[in-house]
Amino acid sequence: MKKSYIIGAVIIVAAMIMAMYSFKSTLTPYVTVHEAKAGKQAVQVAGIPVKGTARYDARSNNNLLFTLREDGGDEMVVEYDGQRPANFDEVTKVVAIGRYEPKKNVFTARQLLVKCPTKYEGRVKGE
Amino acid sequence: MNNFGEAMVALGLIAIGLSSLSYLVLCLKPDNGLARNMARLSFVGFSAFMTIASLLLMHFILNHEFLYSYVARYSSRSLPLEYLVSSFWAGQEGSFLLWVLLGSWLGIIVIFKAREREPQVMLIYNLNAVFLVILLIKQSPFRMLPIAPPDGQGLNMLLQDPWMVIHPPVVFLGYAAFAIPFAYAISALWRKEYDGWIKPALPWTVFSFMSLGAGIMIGGYWSYKVLGWGGYWGWDPVENASLLPWLAGTALMHGMVVQRTRKKLRKTNFVLAAFAFILVIYCTFLTRSGVLANFSVHSFVDLGITGWLVIFMLVFIAIFLGLFMARAKEISAPAGGKSMSYFSREFGLIVAMVLLCLSTVLTGLGTSAPLITRMFEKASKVSNEFYVHTNLPVALVMLLLLSFVPVMVWGKNSFSKLAPRLVWALIGAAVALGVTLLNGFPGTGVFLLSVLAGAAVGMNLFLAIKFVRRQISISGTAIAHLGVGLMFVGIVSSSAYDRSVKVSLPQGTVKSALAYDIDFEGPKMSRDGKGLRLHIPLNVNKDGTQFTAWPDIYSERARDGQVRRFVHPHIRRGLISDLYISPVDFDPGETKESGHEIVMQKGKKLRFHDYEFTFARFDVSRMMGDQGTHGGMTVGANIESSYKGGEPVTLKPVITIGQLHSPSSRVKLPGPQEAYLTLVKIDASAKTIGLVYEGPEPQEEKTTEKKLPSVIAEVSIKPGMTVLWLGTFLILVGAGIAVFRRWQ
Repeated sequence: MKKSYIIGAVIIVAAMIMAMYSFKSTLTPYVTVHEAKAGKQAVQVAGIPVKGTARYDARSNNNLLFTLREDGGDEMVVEYDGQRPANFDEVTKVVAIGRYEPKKNVFTARQLLVKCPTKYEGRVKGE
Repeated sequence: MNNFGEAMVALGLIAIGLSSLSYLVLCLKPDNGLARNMARLSFVGFSAFMTIASLLLMHFILNHEFLYSYVARYSSRSLPLEYLVSSFWAGQEGSFLLWVLLGSWLGIIVIFKAREREPQVMLIYNLNAVFLVILLIKQSPFRMLPIAPPDGQGLNMLLQDPWMVIHPPVVFLGYAAFAIPFAYAISALWRKEYDGWIKPALPWTVFSFMSLGAGIMIGGYWSYKVLGWGGYWGWDPVENASLLPWLAGTALMHGMVVQRTRKKLRKTNFVLAAFAFILVIYCTFLTRSGVLANFSVHSFVDLGITGWLVIFMLVFIAIFLGLFMARAKEISAPAGGKSMSYFSREFGLIVAMVLLCLSTVLTGLGTSAPLITRMFEKASKVSNEFYVHTNLPVALVMLLLLSFVPVMVWGKNSFSKLAPRLVWALIGAAVALGVTLLNGFPGTGVFLLSVLAGAAVGMNLFLAIKFVRRQISISGTAIAHLGVGLMFVGIVSSSAYDRSVKVSLPQGTVKSALAYDIDFEGPKMSRDGKGLRLHIPLNVNKDGTQFTAWPDIYSERARDGQVRRFVHPHIRRGLISDLYISPVDFDPGETKESGHEIVMQKGKKLRFHDYEFTFARFDVSRMMGDQGTHGGMTVGANIESSYKGGEPVTLKPVITIGQLHSPSSRVKLPGPQEAYLTLVKIDASAKTIGLVYEGPEPQEEKTTEKKLPSVIAEVSIKPGMTVLWLGTFLILVGAGIAVFRRWQ
């Protein structure tokens, strides 16, 4: 039994180390547009969608494209393979989670979090 | 208390408290007949009060008693009966009531089945119920509004699906049932029967496994069918909340099987029973306390129960650890004393249990990431890659075990005896290998997963057929394991071989996507509940077979003024693969007007269709003359106009300010066609006029100038979905057979 305990412990420790590594590498920190363009890591960028820029482009598999502008005024084009959030024009804040792709000069988002006026205010109060 | 429903819940708390006290007496004096009757009767009373409270809530929902806040928030007059019923468990308060109700019914069965263990088992089981009823009082579904609104807010459109009617009851039955193995474990520690509890508790564990498993699978099926994102599992905290206790429960189930036959793993099974049960509370805490509100697509609001859930969890951890520590020395005396072979059925099962626990811990770690990270920095969640990366190796080893451990015997095995029996696993692996490579190498991890899933299917298919022929009641394990293998075959094929393309489909144009010709006929609107449903009929054609897909987009304006939009995919199921068409966005195009507006600048030439126009000058000659009769100013415009380069004619339309459509503002154009120009706008300062053209539109103009409604749709082919659902179904069938056999 002793030997099996040791083997088991080694497996579990190895798995935990692997998991911690994966855990850290898949956490997505909040960064600015500038930092997003500089790094390769998956990140979260917050900003507002610039009015009138949301469109679908056949050249990019009909994905949703829009320009995201952050507080400082920096902008980047975000590409998103998914549903356009229902009230995209009224959105006061959007968080794009994904990676910047220098080749295409777009930020490929795998998830969009949208904050609407009323909900967002409620959130601020609650925090 | 002026509220019958709340009174019932309060009486329920008194009854369950009384029952708990009586069971405590019974634990200390096992022969006390009065205490026994009292305990049982008050438990039945508790169950009755909960049943009445539930019937009451159902009555209020069915009769639209919007004075009750819960009824007003989750139902409305326009809901059909089945969704009125399911609004009972659409919100937190109602689903807690459902949990308590199902728990109270299960408790009555436990009383009948527990025999000599009844006092201890029911004491612990009741303690769980006490906590749940306290939560129910804290977040009561019977809270009243000062005045009843005329109509309720209705049920979330996403929940208006038959599967969502049955999903919560099935999940909460599982949640409620996980308290039973835990209660048996505590009773065993109390009574110092370290092996005896396994036999009566095992069927309950399998039952919990089956019920929660069915809930998880229904949830996945609903997600695939309704949400339109093309997947069935998103590693969302709410989904993980049901997966975690289920994985731990699966480990417990296997541990109990080992202990039943080999008298091993005594300590492990106590810990696992507690682990699975505590996870139920922990996951309730994660999803209901609002700690993950920013990280889940499901909206959960903190209703002030966070503290209670933490106390709830700590009390049970304390009870378990206290008893476990006190008995620790006695438990570990192994009954057999023989050392275990590493090449045996029990060792395979133990490895499987370690893997299941590993998966539970890793998935739990990921789900709790916002809680863990907020201690150091800003709370953030892990991406889905984390779950996939960590669970993939676990799944690989698990499938490897499934392809040979089921044919092993307890105790020492010899390889020479085992090897010939593995031929079916090899055949399965070879088939999977061939099929996988024919469809393209998917990467090492997925490739191995596919081959091992094939091996597991081959081995367990053989065993399932063998046992079903011999005696169906012993085939449960093999059928469930076959289901696991098939499920992974489905997971591999649907995720690694999923092909998807997004197409823009203007009305009336045939577009090709993944070898399907798709033709958008044009949108159809219908009113539905409080919103509008936009149906998008698509004629889909492939090799002569034709059908119409009806995906739709539903939108409604919620009370906070926000528009909510729900897309609804169309799925055409097939044995090999599903065709999945999900609308992404809809562009209504230009609304069709009877005329075509033209703006002209003074002195500029303009070509329009077959005409050439020149706006020469304003005509103010009649400004004075008509003033008296019409009471408004009359202004005209002189327009030189020619048809197909013919002789120019001067048109003199006039408009009278204050009069919208005077006959004199409309003039016929030269040429053979029935075509008119109407002067609608005059801007003297900018020297422009606005005109509306009515008449035949040349063919090419229609497509270039008029924007037709168009839809962007995602078309995907998802192979293996049917196999996946079949696999999950077989897991449940297998578990059902096992429960039936153990309870006979």
